[in-house]
Amino acid sequence: MDPTSRPAVVIDNGTGYTKMGFAGNVEPCFILPTVVAVNESFLNQSRTSSKANWLAQYNAGVMADLDFFIGDEALSKSRSSSTYNLSYPIRHGQVDNWDAMERYWQQCIFNYLRCDPEDHFFLLTESPLTAPESREYTGEIMFETFNVPGLYIAVNSVLALAAGYTTSKCEMTGVVVDVGDGATHVVPVADGYVIGSSIKSIPIAGKDVTLFIQQLMRERSENVPPEDSFEVARKVKEMYCYTSSDIVKEFNKHDKEPAKYIKQWRGIKPKTGAPYTCDIGYERFLGPEVFFNPEIYSSDFTTPLPAVIDKCIQSAPIDTRRALYKNIVLSGGSTMFKDFHRRLQRDLKKIVDARVLASDARLGGEVKAQPVEVNVVSHSIQRFAVWFGGSVLASTPEFFAACHTKAEYEEYGASICRTNPVFKGMY
Amino acid sequence: MLLLQAHSRFLLETLLNRVHNLDKAVELDYHWVEFDDVRYHVQVTMKNPHILLLSVSLPIPPPETIFLRGLPFGAIEAIKAAYGVVVQILDPPRDGFNLTLKLNFSKLPPDEERRHILLVKIASVREVVLGAPLRVVLKHLASRTVAPDVGQLLALVHRPKESFFLIPQAEKVTVVFPMRFNDSVDTVLATSFLQEFVEARRTAGLNNAPLCMWSSSPPLDLKEVPSEALSANAGFVTFVIFPRHVEGKKLDRTVWNLSTFHAYVSYHVKCSEGFMHTRMRRRVESLIQALDRAKPDSEKSKKTINNRSFKRLSLKDLKESRSNSMS
Repeated sequence: MDPTSRPAVVIDNGTGYTKMGFAGNVEPCFILPTVVAVNESFLNQSRTSSKANWLAQYNAGVMADLDFFIGDEALSKSRSSSTYNLSYPIRHGQVDNWDAMERYWQQCIFNYLRCDPEDHFFLLTESPLTAPESREYTGEIMFETFNVPGLYIAVNSVLALAAGYTTSKCEMTGVVVDVGDGATHVVPVADGYVIGSSIKSIPIAGKDVTLFIQQLMRERSENVPPEDSFEVARKVKEMYCYTSSDIVKEFNKHDKEPAKYIKQWRGIKPKTGAPYTCDIGYERFLGPEVFFNPEIYSSDFTTPLPAVIDKCIQSAPIDTRRALYKNIVLSGGSTMFKDFHRRLQRDLKKIVDARVLASDARLGGEVKAQPVEVNVVSHSIQRFAVWFGGSVLASTPEFFAACHTKAEYEEYGASICRTNPVFKGMY
Repeated sequence: MLLLQAHSRFLLETLLNRVHNLDKAVELDYHWVEFDDVRYHVQVTMKNPHILLLSVSLPIPPPETIFLRGLPFGAIEAIKAAYGVVVQILDPPRDGFNLTLKLNFSKLPPDEERRHILLVKIASVREVVLGAPLRVVLKHLASRTVAPDVGQLLALVHRPKESFFLIPQAEKVTVVFPMRFNDSVDTVLATSFLQEFVEARRTAGLNNAPLCMWSSSPPLDLKEVPSEALSANAGFVTFVIFPRHVEGKKLDRTVWNLSTFHAYVSYHVKCSEGFMHTRMRRRVESLIQALDRAKPDSEKSKKTINNRSFKRLSLKDLKESRSNSMS
């Protein structure tokens, strides 16, 4: 039967979480941490003893190259036994360890989605700054190992825009603010094409928020076991953090009514099994504040996110700027903080209004500038907006024509994956 | 080593999720596809949050298999026996599907453990339906009752337009799989994998495992089968199942492992391709290292520590130049 009659498989590999599922659904089937637990007890032996190595493996009852787990299973395996080592295949939005990545895909396809890769077209995502070589690698793995009939590698910011496309109106121009776990990108897109020269990225992402919260809690010497502190910080970030409109007011609020604002965290020490509690105070609003006042976290990078977005739009072609300000789309798990979009919109509006006022003053009131509309869009599916966009895109009939097919791959080689049509066209 | 679990992970997750949040009415509409072209559709409406409609479509049967009203024989009985009152079979099924089940969550057993077991069973609907004829034959073998169709060849569907064959006898059941692969590399790998597989069966630890044989031409038992059903490019695998392999609880596992044998082989073919890629990548890395080591040193000296291309004047140089000018 023809693979085009089956739904395509959409996998969005993020630094923190991987979202995977079938096109045409509104939600991904699985959202798993992007992590692989590998049994390395047999990998590091010398090559001369390969026969003995094989026998040793056989006697131990494992095949080291088949003995690995992904996602939540990997995390629990590595906690319970010391034979498994965790490896994170993606770092800062780029694939770092291709062996681990190939295994991760293998498990995703065979054990989680349980589909035959030869039966489905595949849609994968990449960050706009991915090198062409890495796209070639991806194509090689997909076509050689999994024999997929067709592959499309989409740019995740364009997909995030496409996700908004169905909820409101047909708008493929906008700025995507993608704050993931490992990378933050501000990507302007005009009519579906990425303006490559104006992409800005920030070295602050979800993981830094977690680290900052961990640091705050450690400095206050909260009673958290050190081996668990990163996990606790992550949970605190996901469950309790919110964006404040003004830090000073927020500090006052917390000081006046601690009972209302300070939360309790209850946990069990992993080693001893003893229960413990700790307080969660200022980090609730200081965590997300890292994006708006980065100087409280690091001294290397001090430009707030709204200023970066403004700079990004200012560097885009002049005829697209108004449209870009009008449609600023959030995507990625770290934009899920309560009121994040309101704060972003307010700060950005301030910058823009100041500039309009200054130019009015310079012109001396002869010409009145039209006010610039600033609009930050947020929707309920931000966490997997990229996946949803991919699902929408892959369920259109044109998708199958846009894919690289296995026949093309065999004719021309991996170089067909090198170029991405989304970057062409603007210049 | 991977043996696929009988239940569909996503289906089980959906069911558990639904049972835990029964009081919340939600709209659900999921479509997905599993290996061998088994399609699922799950639907829950706002109006009846206690009802879940589960539709399953099976691979298209080849002409030699027996299908009764779109299902393998014995499937309806198997569903009724496995699920009881919780599930109702809707007739006719949804458009484009072979079977539609209506699950009523309010009829689930209240006991937590039994409920979980039943939900896992529902998530394994594929095994129940597709494995039904195989189960009937193996049950006869286990109880050593003579089935009415002894010695007669049976064809059972396991992949779209492909079937495997059963030859039930009083003391044993012979199962023959024609193995087909689309890709030429896969075919080669699968052939050698299967030969190794047969070889591994001969090791001492596996004496009690079912007999396993591989041949490149169809075994003689299959001479009545039309030749177009026997066009296999990776040979034929034969298992001989004895009553001891289907005793008691082993029956379920045997049924599942046999009906997903092709998926098992194909997974391992992909794994070995992945393993070879890992080896190749490691080799390229070591070659690059060797190349780096072979680079002449002159290139290194061009770059100074500070990455500056100009030569800095040090005090010593200054003195030298001064003394030169004085002299």
